[in-house]
Amino acid sequence: MSNRNPLDYSLNKPLVRSFNPLSYIFKDLPLFLGLITLLALGLLMLFSASGQSISMVSRQLVFIILGLFLLLFVSHLKPSSYKNLLMNSYWIGIFLLIYVLINPASGYETSRWIDLGFFSFQPSEIVRLILPLSITAYLFRKDKEPQSKDWVITTFAALFCSYLVYKQPDLGTAIIVFTSGLIPIFLAGLPLLIILVYILIFSLITPLIWSNVLLDYQKERILTLLDPSADPLGSGWNIAQSQTAIGSGGVYGKGYLQGTQSQLDFIPESHSDFIFSVIGEEFGLIGMFFLFILYGFILWRVFKIGLNAQSNFERLISCSLGFIFLLFILINVLMVIGIIPVVGVPLPLVSQGGTSIVVHLVAFGVILSTKKPQL
Amino acid sequence: MQYLNNLKQDEKDIRSLKDRSKIIFIFFLILSFLGIFKILQLTVLDANLYIDDADKNRIIEKPIYPARGLIKLQNGKIIAENIVTKDLFIQKKLIESSMEQLNFLEKVVLDNREINLIALEEYKSEDNFLLLSSLNNQETAKFELNKDSMPNIKLETTLKRYLPQKNLFSHVIGHLGRLTVEEKKFLPRFEYPSSSFLGKVGIEKFYEEELKGLPGMSFIEVDVHGNRVREINRDLPSKPENITLTLDLDLQKIAQAELGNRKGAIVALDPLTGFIKVMVSSPDYNPNILNGSERGTSYESYLQDDAPFFNRAISGSYPPASTIKPFVGLLGLEEGIITQQTQIEDKGYFQLKEDGRRYRGWKEDGHGQVNLNKAIVESSDVYFYELSSKLTIDRISSFLSDFGFGKLTGIDLHNETQSILPTRNWKLGNIGEPWFIGDTINIGIGQGYISSTPMQLLSSITAIANKGRVYKPRIVSSVGSRSFEPEILYEIKIADEDHWNTIEQSMIQVIQSWNGTAHNLYEKDSAVIAGKTGTAQIKSLTDQDLTVREEYEEIRDIIKNRDHALFASYGPVPNPNLAVLVIVENGESGSAVAAPIAKKLIEAYQRIIKNYE
Repeated sequence: MSNRNPLDYSLNKPLVRSFNPLSYIFKDLPLFLGLITLLALGLLMLFSASGQSISMVSRQLVFIILGLFLLLFVSHLKPSSYKNLLMNSYWIGIFLLIYVLINPASGYETSRWIDLGFFSFQPSEIVRLILPLSITAYLFRKDKEPQSKDWVITTFAALFCSYLVYKQPDLGTAIIVFTSGLIPIFLAGLPLLIILVYILIFSLITPLIWSNVLLDYQKERILTLLDPSADPLGSGWNIAQSQTAIGSGGVYGKGYLQGTQSQLDFIPESHSDFIFSVIGEEFGLIGMFFLFILYGFILWRVFKIGLNAQSNFERLISCSLGFIFLLFILINVLMVIGIIPVVGVPLPLVSQGGTSIVVHLVAFGVILSTKKPQL
Repeated sequence: MQYLNNLKQDEKDIRSLKDRSKIIFIFFLILSFLGIFKILQLTVLDANLYIDDADKNRIIEKPIYPARGLIKLQNGKIIAENIVTKDLFIQKKLIESSMEQLNFLEKVVLDNREINLIALEEYKSEDNFLLLSSLNNQETAKFELNKDSMPNIKLETTLKRYLPQKNLFSHVIGHLGRLTVEEKKFLPRFEYPSSSFLGKVGIEKFYEEELKGLPGMSFIEVDVHGNRVREINRDLPSKPENITLTLDLDLQKIAQAELGNRKGAIVALDPLTGFIKVMVSSPDYNPNILNGSERGTSYESYLQDDAPFFNRAISGSYPPASTIKPFVGLLGLEEGIITQQTQIEDKGYFQLKEDGRRYRGWKEDGHGQVNLNKAIVESSDVYFYELSSKLTIDRISSFLSDFGFGKLTGIDLHNETQSILPTRNWKLGNIGEPWFIGDTINIGIGQGYISSTPMQLLSSITAIANKGRVYKPRIVSSVGSRSFEPEILYEIKIADEDHWNTIEQSMIQVIQSWNGTAHNLYEKDSAVIAGKTGTAQIKSLTDQDLTVREEYEEIRDIIKNRDHALFASYGPVPNPNLAVLVIVENGESGSAVAAPIAKKLIEAYQRIIKNYE
């Protein structure tokens, strides 16, 4: 900053920038445009993956518009003003998780869905974003370093949430919920000693969990990942089909709406969790890399905002959300290409699903709200 | 100061956040690389593998079966074709849960007729069970109206084999049947899926390969549920070949009508080509029932014991009886044992010098002084007893063998039975006894161990008609564009060609001479026919104390024991164009029963040829 070349053109700029309405409304225009591009691409893929269902695309569009309004609203709030709300939102999450266990929507084998009549959603989709936010808010509820007991309390808060999800039963999501709670705890400065204790406890109870807690189908799910081809019509069928879709798309893809695997319904859940394989089949390696670049750009903006934010709380919130966003992308992609077991994680902002879209957009609103005001 | 402290604290916090972020980021980066490598492997290294997989997923290959080749007659008349039938099917696994629908079907569509579920066993390897074949229009309409009440029952249209002449060609053409478990093992699955039909007997079996053609292939794009989306490509099936038979429709009809309800067989062929003009076996059956193109029973149940599926013309074994006499007479002339003038006295029996045993002729009082001509014309048994006793079995067997006795004719049909021509070794091997002269004497009149199929006997008779040359019997004149030329089966050279005429003249006299056994056929100015009657005994006359007539009356009481009536003939002499063999089981008299049929056929054939020209 100090060794500026006197010839630097920026010196010639006025000290106070002129008021830019776009920057004011959208806080960070590149991030906003990145999100819009991603959402548009998602709608395009959804049209293909849903068997060209206009109604599914319009429904998704309604949620996107709703989500964008919420994003803009939240992005103009002061983080300090909603810190308490975030902290207490934990209880909303707990309420939803318990409610779904007691009163699950009928028609599903597991208790994952809450049915509101016009709309049904999985509380776990909300919880995996609420949890890190509330943990961050709790850790920084006072303007000082978190205390030792705070680390333990937040860890248990995350464990409890994930236990409720596990009871649905949904092991995969339980792990994801726990991980999303752990990310802010770690980023906030979880002491090394506690980390070591955690690792010790974890390595002691993992064998116990495998033999006593996991249900057979959960073990089987994990085991099929080792060789999905061994059982192409059983639990590995989904993976085999999505690998076939991505592989047969090759470098250039088969063309929009030309994917045989997706158009002929060979890819299960192609509009939701497996939409990435539709992208792979129809747009090939190039299409997938374009998607990664788009995600990379969005994440770059998120971390830029996060690291430049004004308080520890704000920095941590944005960075945590950024990592959680990256985590979801990774889990979804690794699942679709067959590296990790099939768990119910949509491709963020692309897969069909109102809750997922709205919750993610609200999260981006929170991130934008932490952006340091430009002078 | 406070502000500076805060600033310092802030920088420390940011550094810590950055460090910790890096740790998570590196962890995620490793995962990302794993993913990227996997994606590169899928899309670049193994792309072709997955392209194949994707195609296998969506493209199913469905064979297209060509319609079976037609069978025609030489005048172009189609006698075996394919018709579209509507059949009702149900998936086997759904039968138990669909009883209500089946009852509904019986009530509404079938007018309370019951569905036969007994045949379920036949459909072992198939998914579908045939409930009802060849629905008529009314039933189809009723089904279509009510099909919503019977969602498990499906109507399918299939091509079925249909013989417009029904029973007329049953034994020649034969019928199709379902693939048996055995056949499934060695037939290519692609050409014969488990629901296919194939030729079981007759022409349908003999020319199965040609009639079937080769299936083509349709490449169909399907979705994950197997629903057809579109046809991508199609390899056309190779067309099966049509087959033309040598048979004559009108003669065939006459022969069938003449046999009527009687058991027996009629075969007729053109001696100059070997092409078969008539082949009828009675009782017959309706192949359409077995082909599934008609409903009902293929034959009346009382015919069960009379083996309606049995093609007597090529598979039936009968004693040639007196029709063998011309051959034995010819041998006598050839060997110089007799001349035309040689006479013996026929007192009604022949007594063996060795053991004094008497062999009785069919005419109790005998034929008196008999030469070869009279022996054939009147069919003297005693003359041939004596002649054969002098000829010995070795010479008789060897000579008859030249004429095709004891051999297959090689006709282009399956299930031809081999006739039996006994020799000393044959008897030793099959009966376990040495040869007795009495056996030879029986052979001399075509009884005893010797047996012939109507086809073989007819083929042998054409040797006399053609003066030694015999053409291989054929029932198919062309397959597709290949047509078959007459093929010489064998050619007999005899020492004195004149002997052919001697025998032929005697056979003509059988009809023309007032004392001929078939003189009842004689009409002045009609076509000259050479023939020989035969009466094949089923039960031998053994009781030495009873007279022939007495013993015979006893046997006649049981119809099954009555003699078979035979007539072997050809005409018109001198240029015979049709040789006919008629055998009527338990018909008793060759002259009264069998001969008129032969005459009718020969005469009808002359008219047909005339019309044709």
